[in-house]
Amino acid sequence: MRTLVQKFAWRLVLLVAITLIGGFLAATLIRFAPGYSVDERELDPRLNQASKEAIRNDRQLHSGLLAYYGQYLARAVHGDLGVSQGLEQPVATLIKERLPVTAKSVFAAMVLCWCSAFALAFAGLFYGGFLLDASGTIASGLLIALPTGVVAMLAVYVHAPVFVAIAVIIFPKVFRYLRNLLDHAYAQPYVTAARARGISDTLIIFRHVLPLVGAPVLALAGVSLSMAFGAAIPVEALCDSPGVGQLAWQAAMNRDLPLIINLTLILTMITVAFNSALDFRQETAQ
Amino acid sequence: MSAARIARAAALGILCSVLAVCLFADRFTSYSYATQFRELPNAAPSSLHLLGTDGLGRDLFTRLLYGTRVSLLLAPAAAIIATFLAAVLGCIAGFSGGWLEKAILAAADVSMALPLLLLLLALRAVLPLSISPFVSIVATFVLLGFLGWPASLRVIWATARALRNSDFIVLARATGCSRFRLLSRHVFPNLRPVLLAQFWISIPLFVLTEATLSMLGLGVMEPMASWGNLLKGLEDFSAVRANPWSLSPLLLLVVVVISFQLVLPQREELA
Amino acid sequence: MFRASRLIALFCLALMAATTRAQSGGELHFCLHGEPKTFNPVLVEDEASENVRYLTGGVLIRLNRQTQALEPALATSWKISPDRKTITFQIRPGIYFSDGTPFTSDDVAYTMRLLLDPNTHSPTGDSFEVGAGKTEIKTPSPEVVAITFPGPIAGLERLFDQVAILSVHSPKKEMAVLGPFYVSEYKAGSYVLLRKNSNYWKHDAQGHALPYLDSIQLDIQRNRDIELVRFRRGELQLINRLDPELYERLKAEDPSLTRTAGTGLDAEEFWFNQSTSAPMPDYKRAWFRTTEFRKAVSLAINRADISRIVYRGFAKPAFGPVSPSNRFWFNAALEEPKYDPQGALRLFTKAGFRFQQETLKDAAGNRVEFTLVTNSGNTAREKMAAMIQQDLSQVGIKVNVVTFDFPSLIERMTRTFDYDACLLGLVNTDLDPNGQMNVWLSSGENHQWNPSQKSPATAWEAEIDQLMRGQATAATEKERKAKFDRVQQIVSEQQPFIYLINKDVLTAVSPAVAGAAPVVLNPPAFWNAETLRVQNSSQLGAQK
Repeated sequence: MRTLVQKFAWRLVLLVAITLIGGFLAATLIRFAPGYSVDERELDPRLNQASKEAIRNDRQLHSGLLAYYGQYLARAVHGDLGVSQGLEQPVATLIKERLPVTAKSVFAAMVLCWCSAFALAFAGLFYGGFLLDASGTIASGLLIALPTGVVAMLAVYVHAPVFVAIAVIIFPKVFRYLRNLLDHAYAQPYVTAARARGISDTLIIFRHVLPLVGAPVLALAGVSLSMAFGAAIPVEALCDSPGVGQLAWQAAMNRDLPLIINLTLILTMITVAFNSALDFRQETAQ
Repeated sequence: MSAARIARAAALGILCSVLAVCLFADRFTSYSYATQFRELPNAAPSSLHLLGTDGLGRDLFTRLLYGTRVSLLLAPAAAIIATFLAAVLGCIAGFSGGWLEKAILAAADVSMALPLLLLLLALRAVLPLSISPFVSIVATFVLLGFLGWPASLRVIWATARALRNSDFIVLARATGCSRFRLLSRHVFPNLRPVLLAQFWISIPLFVLTEATLSMLGLGVMEPMASWGNLLKGLEDFSAVRANPWSLSPLLLLVVVVISFQLVLPQREELA
Repeated sequence: MFRASRLIALFCLALMAATTRAQSGGELHFCLHGEPKTFNPVLVEDEASENVRYLTGGVLIRLNRQTQALEPALATSWKISPDRKTITFQIRPGIYFSDGTPFTSDDVAYTMRLLLDPNTHSPTGDSFEVGAGKTEIKTPSPEVVAITFPGPIAGLERLFDQVAILSVHSPKKEMAVLGPFYVSEYKAGSYVLLRKNSNYWKHDAQGHALPYLDSIQLDIQRNRDIELVRFRRGELQLINRLDPELYERLKAEDPSLTRTAGTGLDAEEFWFNQSTSAPMPDYKRAWFRTTEFRKAVSLAINRADISRIVYRGFAKPAFGPVSPSNRFWFNAALEEPKYDPQGALRLFTKAGFRFQQETLKDAAGNRVEFTLVTNSGNTAREKMAAMIQQDLSQVGIKVNVVTFDFPSLIERMTRTFDYDACLLGLVNTDLDPNGQMNVWLSSGENHQWNPSQKSPATAWEAEIDQLMRGQATAATEKERKAKFDRVQQIVSEQQPFIYLINKDVLTAVSPAVAGAAPVVLNPPAFWNAETLRVQNSSQLGAQK
C-alpha cells in the first residue's frame, strides 16, 4: 500500500504529463489546420513584396514542430511564454490580464448553475407534481435548444452579466444529468424501503441518495467545469468581454500558435487538476 | 401514472407525425426550399406563405419541413454514435481500471480542452471543394458523433466504477454470471439514466453545432435548410422582430426534444 | 509641510475640474469594431488602429474628408519640385507634442526615415512605393524639411495625410502626439480612453482652442447588434458604420438618429480564378478565361435585387473599381451594369456554350457548374452568394456556395488556389489609384484573379500594366486621370472582377452630438472630431 504522499506525487506527475501532451496536440492542430501562417494583412494592396515576405516569414515555423515545442517549454520554464502572433503582445501579459475575468465568470456561473440545478432537482423529487415536472422539462428543453449566440444577445439585452449567460448554457446539461441520477437513486428499492419506514427526507438524501450518486455527481462537476470554460469562449467573443475565452476565440481564428499552446495548457491543467483532486479525494475516502 | 402514460402517447404521436410530415414534405408544400420570392422578403404569415418568408423571401414553412428532414434524421443518429462510444469507453474505463482507465480519462480531459474546431477545418481542407450537400451533411454529423463522446465519458465512467464495486455485481460475478449477461442485465440498466440524459442533451447540441460547422465549409450549404441554419437566423433580432414566426424552428426543436425525453423509458419501469 | 502641499494640490485639482466643467465639451463615447493592434502610427494596418491614429496623430497635410481637398496642417505650405522627386515643407512654428516636447523638422525627418526603412514594413511607408535608391531628407532649419525621393511619385502630397509625426526626443516615444487627442488609458479587449491634447495647434474661427471635447471613450465591441442596443440606451453617442438592417430598424424608430452620407467607396465583388496553378480541370479554366463567359455571368446577376434585399436599398450597383463618390477618379463614361439574362444567354451561345433543358453546357458537353467561396460570418455576403446562386440558375449554371473562415479562405486565394470563384469586398482606403498598384499590375500579389504573373497572361492585362505604370509617372493629374479612365474601361469590358454593389455609408448620431456631418471617406462619422461637442452630458449620464 502506497502512502498518501506517494499517491499525491504520482497524481502530480500524471497531471504534468497530460497537460504537456495536451499542449503538444494543440500545437499540432494549429500547425496542420488550413490557413496556418496566413495573415490577413496579405490582402492589403499597400504593402510591398518585401513586407509581405516578412509577414509570412514571421508566421512560419522555422524548425520542426517537436523542436519548436521543446524550445517553447525550455523558455516557458524561465517564465517566457512567447509573443502572440495575432495581437503582437507577450502571451504572459495577455493571460495575466484576462484569466481573472474568465475565472470569476466561470466560478460564478458554476455556483449559480449548480445551486439552481440542485434546488430544482430536489424540488421535483419531493414535491414532484406533474406540473413541476413538466415545467422543468420544458424549461430545460427550451434552454438547451437556444443557440449560444442568442443566449449571449439576450444577456446583453437584459443587462445580465456574462456569468449568467454561461450558467444558462450549462444549466440544462447539468440539470438533466442530475435529475436522472437522483430519480434513479431515489427509485432504488432500499430508498423506497427507507421511505416506507417513515425516515425523513433530509435523512434519506444524506444517508442513501447522496452516497449513491456521489461519484457521478462529482464527475459531472468536473465535466461542467470544462463545459463552462467551453461556453465562455463564444459568450465572451459575442459579448466582447475581455477574458481568456475571447482570447481563445481570436487565437483560433488567427491561427495564433503561441497563444493557443498556452491557453490549451492552462485549460487542460485546470480540468485535469480539478478532476484529479476529485479522484484523489475519493481514493483517500475509500 | 396515467398522466405520464398519456403524455408519453402524445409525445410518440407528435414524433411520428413530425417525422411523417417531413418525410413527405413535398406533399405538404408546393414550394421549393430554394425559391426566392424576392418581392416578399421577411414577410409575415399569409395564406400563401404559412409561416412567412425569410430574409431572401424563401418560404419559411417549406424550409422548416425540409430542414426538419435533415436534422431530425441525422442529429439523433449522431447522438446515438456519441452515446454509444461514451458508453463503451466509459464501461471499459470503469471496469478495467489501471492504465487503460487512466488513458481513457486523460484522453477525454485533453480533448475537451483542445480547439477541435481546427480538426474540422483540416477535414474540410482534405475534402474536395465541390462535394455534394448530402455527403457534406452526413460526413458532418458522423464526425460530430465521433467527437461528441468526451462530455459524458466521466459521468458514465463514475457510474460504472460505482457499479463495479456494488454488492449485486459482485454477487452476480460470484455466481458465475456470464460477462454478456452481466453487462446486459445488470450494468446497462443501471447506466440507463446517464445514457438517456446524454442522448437527450446531445440532440439539440448536434443540431446547433451543425449550424456552426456550415460556417466552416462543412455541414448544410446554401440553399439547403437545416434546423441549425434556421436557428442561426434567430441571432438576427431585427428579422425575428419583423417576423416572430421565424421562432417556429425553435419551438419545433423544443417540442421534438421534449417528446424524445417523454418517449424514452422513465424511472417507473426501472424501479 | 507635506500635508499642506497635498491640500494645495487637491485645491488646484478641484479648481481645474470646476473650470473644465464650465467650458466642457463633454465626453464622446463610441465603439471600435476590433482591437487596435498598435498605437505606433507607423505600423498601423487595421481599421481600429487607423481610427485611433486619425484621432491622435498630427499630420503635415490633411485630406479634408468633406471637400476631398488637401489642406495645410502641421505644414503651413509645401512645394513639389518640377521633377516631382522633392517635396519641401514649411513647418508651423511654436508647436508642442502632447507631452510638451517641442516639434521641429527633425521630428519629420525621424518619422520619414522610420517609415521608409525597409525593415519597418510599414503599410503607410510602403504606399510611397519608393523603389530602389536612397531617400534624402534635409532639415536646413527647424521649420523647413526637404525630402528627396529616388524617383518621381505621383500624387505625392496626399500620401502625407497618413503620416502621423512621431517625436524624436520625447521619452514617451509614439505616445507623444500632435493630434487633437492622446491615448490616456487602454484596457486590452475592453476600451481605449482618449483625452484632449491641450497642446493641439488648431483653433476655431473665434480663436477657441480645439478640440472642444474633453475626452473620447472608444469601447472595443465587435457585435453590431449590441452596439445598437447601447446606442439606443444613450450609452454611445455615435455609430461610425451601421449595417443596413440595423440602420433601417433605427430609422423606423427615430429618423433623427440616422445619417447617411451617400454611396461609399467600398465595393463588393467576385472573380473567377484564372490562375495557372489552380488545381481545376482545363475546361473549367478555359471558361473562366473566356471574356464572354465572365461578361455573361455579370449580365445574369440582378444587382438591383441585391441592393434592395441584402442592403435594404442602401447600396448602388457598382460600375467598377472606383465608386462614383470618388469625385475625381471615377470614370463617368462607364456604362451602368445591366441585368439581362437573355443577353447573357446570347453571349454564352456566342462563346460556344449551349443552353438545353434548363442547363448550360460547354462545347464539349461539360455542365457549367462552379463553387463560389466566401468568408463565413458575413451575413450580407452569404445572402449575396445565395442570390447569385439563384440568378445564375436561371441561365442554367449550377453554383455551389461554400463559406470558410478567413485564414482558410486566404490560404485558398494565395497559396493553394483551390477555388473556382470568390466573393469578397476589397477595401478601398485610398482615393488615388496608386494605392491599387498591387491589384492591377499582373505581377502584383493582389492581382487576385491571377496573381504574381511573370509576364501578363492576356493582352488586356498587359495594357493595364502599361497604363498603371504610365499614370504613376505621368506629368499632370489630367494625364493620370486619362490613363486610369482607360483602366476602368478595360476592367468593365473584361470583367476580371465582377463588381456587384457600392455600399452606402450609414451612420448613427445622437442628438446630443453637435457638429456631426457624416461623409463617405474614412472615418465617416467622426472625421471632424475636433469640432464635435457633446451637449447636456449630465442628462445623458442620468440615463445610464
